[in-house]
Amino acid sequence: MIINRIRRRTAVGTALALAAALALAACGGGSGSSSGSASQAQAVSQSDIDKAMTTPTDLTFWTWVPNIQKEVDLFQKKYPAIKVKVVNAGQGTPQYTKLRTALKAGTGFPDAVQIEFQYIPTFALTKSLLDLRPYGAEALKDQFVPWTWQQVVGSGGQVWAVPQDSGPMGMLYRKDIFDKYGIAVPKTWDEFAAAARKLHAADPNVSMTNLAQSQAGVWFGMLWQAGVKPFETPSADSVKIDLNGDGSKKVADYWSGLIKDGSVSADADFNDAWYQALNRGKYATWLTAAWGPVFLEGSAKATSGKWRAAPLPQWDAGKNVSGNWGGSTTAVVQGTKNPIAAAKLAEFINTDPESAKMFATQQFLFPVTKALLADTSFVDRPLPFYGGQPVNKLFAGISDTVDTKFQWPPFLDQTVSDWNETVGKSFANKTDTSSALDQWQQRTTKYAQNQGFKVDQ
Amino acid sequence: MSVDTADRRLGARAPGRSQGHRQRRHGVTHGRTGYLFVAPFMLVFVAMLVLPLAYAAYLSLFQERLIGGTVFAGIGNYTRALTDPRLLHGVGRVALFFLIQVPIMLVIALLAALAIDSGLLRVAKLFRLGIFLPYAVPSVVAALMWGYLYGRDFGPFAQLADKVGAAAPKFLTPDWMLGSLANVVTWEFTGYNMIILYAALRAVPHDLYEAAAVDGAGAIRTAWSIKIPALRPALLICVIFSVIGSFQLFNEPQLMQRLAPSVIDSGYTPNLYAYTLAFTGQEVNYAAAVSFLLGAVIVIASYAVLFITTRRSRA
Amino acid sequence: MTGRRSNALTIAMAVLLIYFLLPLFWLFVASTKTVGDLFSSFGLWFAHDISLFSNIKQTVTNDGWVFTRWMGNTVFYAVVSAGGAAFLCALGGYGFAKYRFRGNAAMFGAVLGAIMVPTTALAIPTYLLFSKAGLVNTPLAIILPSLVSPFGLYLMRIYAQDAVPDGIIEAARIDGAGEFRIFFQVALRMLAPGIVTVLLFTLVATWNNYFLPLIMLNNPDLYPITVGLAAWSSQASAGGGTTGAVLSLVITGSFLSVLPLIAAFLLLQRYWQSGLAAGGVKA
Repeated sequence: MIINRIRRRTAVGTALALAAALALAACGGGSGSSSGSASQAQAVSQSDIDKAMTTPTDLTFWTWVPNIQKEVDLFQKKYPAIKVKVVNAGQGTPQYTKLRTALKAGTGFPDAVQIEFQYIPTFALTKSLLDLRPYGAEALKDQFVPWTWQQVVGSGGQVWAVPQDSGPMGMLYRKDIFDKYGIAVPKTWDEFAAAARKLHAADPNVSMTNLAQSQAGVWFGMLWQAGVKPFETPSADSVKIDLNGDGSKKVADYWSGLIKDGSVSADADFNDAWYQALNRGKYATWLTAAWGPVFLEGSAKATSGKWRAAPLPQWDAGKNVSGNWGGSTTAVVQGTKNPIAAAKLAEFINTDPESAKMFATQQFLFPVTKALLADTSFVDRPLPFYGGQPVNKLFAGISDTVDTKFQWPPFLDQTVSDWNETVGKSFANKTDTSSALDQWQQRTTKYAQNQGFKVDQ
Repeated sequence: MSVDTADRRLGARAPGRSQGHRQRRHGVTHGRTGYLFVAPFMLVFVAMLVLPLAYAAYLSLFQERLIGGTVFAGIGNYTRALTDPRLLHGVGRVALFFLIQVPIMLVIALLAALAIDSGLLRVAKLFRLGIFLPYAVPSVVAALMWGYLYGRDFGPFAQLADKVGAAAPKFLTPDWMLGSLANVVTWEFTGYNMIILYAALRAVPHDLYEAAAVDGAGAIRTAWSIKIPALRPALLICVIFSVIGSFQLFNEPQLMQRLAPSVIDSGYTPNLYAYTLAFTGQEVNYAAAVSFLLGAVIVIASYAVLFITTRRSRA
Repeated sequence: MTGRRSNALTIAMAVLLIYFLLPLFWLFVASTKTVGDLFSSFGLWFAHDISLFSNIKQTVTNDGWVFTRWMGNTVFYAVVSAGGAAFLCALGGYGFAKYRFRGNAAMFGAVLGAIMVPTTALAIPTYLLFSKAGLVNTPLAIILPSLVSPFGLYLMRIYAQDAVPDGIIEAARIDGAGEFRIFFQVALRMLAPGIVTVLLFTLVATWNNYFLPLIMLNNPDLYPITVGLAAWSSQASAGGGTTGAVLSLVITGSFLSVLPLIAAFLLLQRYWQSGLAAGGVKA
């Protein structure tokens, strides 16, 4: 396995690498790992862990979760020797840019870092993340919803991070608008399209939904739901790119049809025009993730009580599948001087029952642990903004319907940037999305080849 | 008028008046002391500008790949850049921007400076400061404000257009975008240019005006035949700074990208392209080469402006 | 130059003035609104509830008074950088103007040429060099690059040429004063309007500096106000966990952040206008 070879070559000599390289032993046989070679990682012993957790240590943790100090305080209470400095280095891309430059410079990077699911392969490729298997991460697997765990596992079985929160997708809709125009909640995409056209004919100022021209995340969520596998990484230096296959084209033709005839808008999202549109009822639905309901509550106060939640419409009647949009993990940065303490921090804040529950109830992050998704005090809570509907229960159910095999490319930034300039642009200009997919495929392929990947189309 | 006397007094002290006495620089004997005076600036200059630049030049000769590491690329990055359609489009776009936005901005700045200097205005000071005020606003804030005003559905202009039954202006569409950005830049920098021109006008010797008045020249005539020619050097400064500003256009499109991401793509301006290459595509080396070529374009454009204007003044 | 006034010209200029003040008026109006009104009332007029003071309070106290810290940082970076830059420019400009030495013209030309270097070309290599020197994520990472102001040097050279007559320097030399004593005790005072001009323009440049601190600083406690506001604004725009309520903080914060610079320009206007006159005329 090439990934092991690379790992061995670059990391030999450090204690870390020894641990990482021997970790495959814990992987459970039959995973096809190079058994018998010396490349298997060795678990860090419990006494090493105990020693590390009682030695006075300063950790830096980059995260943009607001008020995460509360969860961190729980950790510090349990391990008084460890002092964690929480730093908000920006949300999403700005933080990644900083992380990358700091890693390049070799100084100033944190020990632990918040990373969204979709960026894990990107940072794993640049060897920026530490494999957590030697620190007992594999034992955590059963606590998490299976698809969220699959998202943090690398192609060689590495555990790159511990899941923090997720965003299984559903549909928030304006009940008042649906009622006014006699629209039933659509169960399939066909019904959704029919409703969209009906609504557009009745009131051209309202669109059924807004498929943002700037939101590749939603597009990937749509692909995910449709069972499309845009990327696969059979080995560390090769990538299979399929952005314009039949599945993608089906999704593309569907949306570009609705956008072209005006029944669905494609405004850029999360800017003030979009906030205003939500407040003033321009969009009858928002296809969003499980973190969406609380977000909307804070952003569209004027519409309280008018919204309801439902699952995403389906491609095949009777089926029940969804995709994911957003959600984060806690990862440990390769090169940290305190790997054990950092790994335990990642583990603790996301698996300690009190801490995990705090994420769900104080910061309103949508949980990833099976225990919380079965916790009635969480799922049964009625939300007045949604007319008293227990929205969490709905999304907890949706979480079980997310496909576990979806993979991200190891160069996500470029892929998203190219999406904006091809597919997103076709939404904005109401041009042919299908040929935009071909461009997207071509640009991504060219980039991958330029970067030295073996590309399999 | 009384408002302006303070400035006039200072203007009289300002050195610009005394065009005549360009003295010989001081003797060679003190030459070595000169080094001591310029040394602090030059030291910081070398450390903060020359050194990073040299390092960037070095970087531009390599290629670092995600798979396979760093290899020497020679001029490979440069040849790639010269045939990169996105870069060439970006350069074309900022050149267009320069040709359209800069004349408009400078004409407004010039007219405003002449109007304020003419003595025909009530509350001239209010105008002078009011027009200059946007210069003190960070571009982060300027882009935020204009972005809101441009709003397609609920921006004030759209709402007003809706009230009178007109079609909403499409500020953020591909056809309008460059104009919308030009508007933001004009808004930010007209006042700055106006102040430079106005300050230069204040320094024009007063007796020239009186002579013109004796000849019976009106305000417009005086402006055209005395004031504008006197402003030539100041205008040249404004143009050169505008060349640099236009070709380096970055903040405004970068901050407006959020509003119309499919219109402002990553190659919209060359500087934005270099930024995207470095931080999104992780192609630091290629980004360095692109930045170098952009610097070369700016130098050429600046010299072209200088060449054209000096030739015309000789003719 | 009679005392007559033109109403037509005044009206035309008033229209122009409205254009320049309109966005600022919007900013003021928007910072008086509640989050709800921000998204649902007409943009260019006040809503029913005027909540300017509660907005200010919320903005300033949000996230443990981080806004005041950002403002403090900005003032610190801007004042130190502008002061340092103005001093270096005054010293250098005087040197270039008043002394003849080998390489004078070449060095000065090199500095002027540097105005044309795109900022993004410098950002990455500067970052990498600074990180090797251990300067990243410190105030020095913002201050050091801001100390170089080629335009300031240009301005000071032109200004020094005429503002400090050679005769006075000569007289001081005859009195036996050293070169630096002449500079500090005689020339500096004559250079004051020029120095204030350079000071103000570097102050604006550092105050508005966005890109450099964005990549140099990781610690929000060190952010200047521009990066802080942009961070809040991207919180509002990134979705997931946070809410549109942040947008109201961004707007009120923006409003507060432009006030000090406007005040500085109004208070010091006498100086910078005469300082600029020199640069414009003698180009």
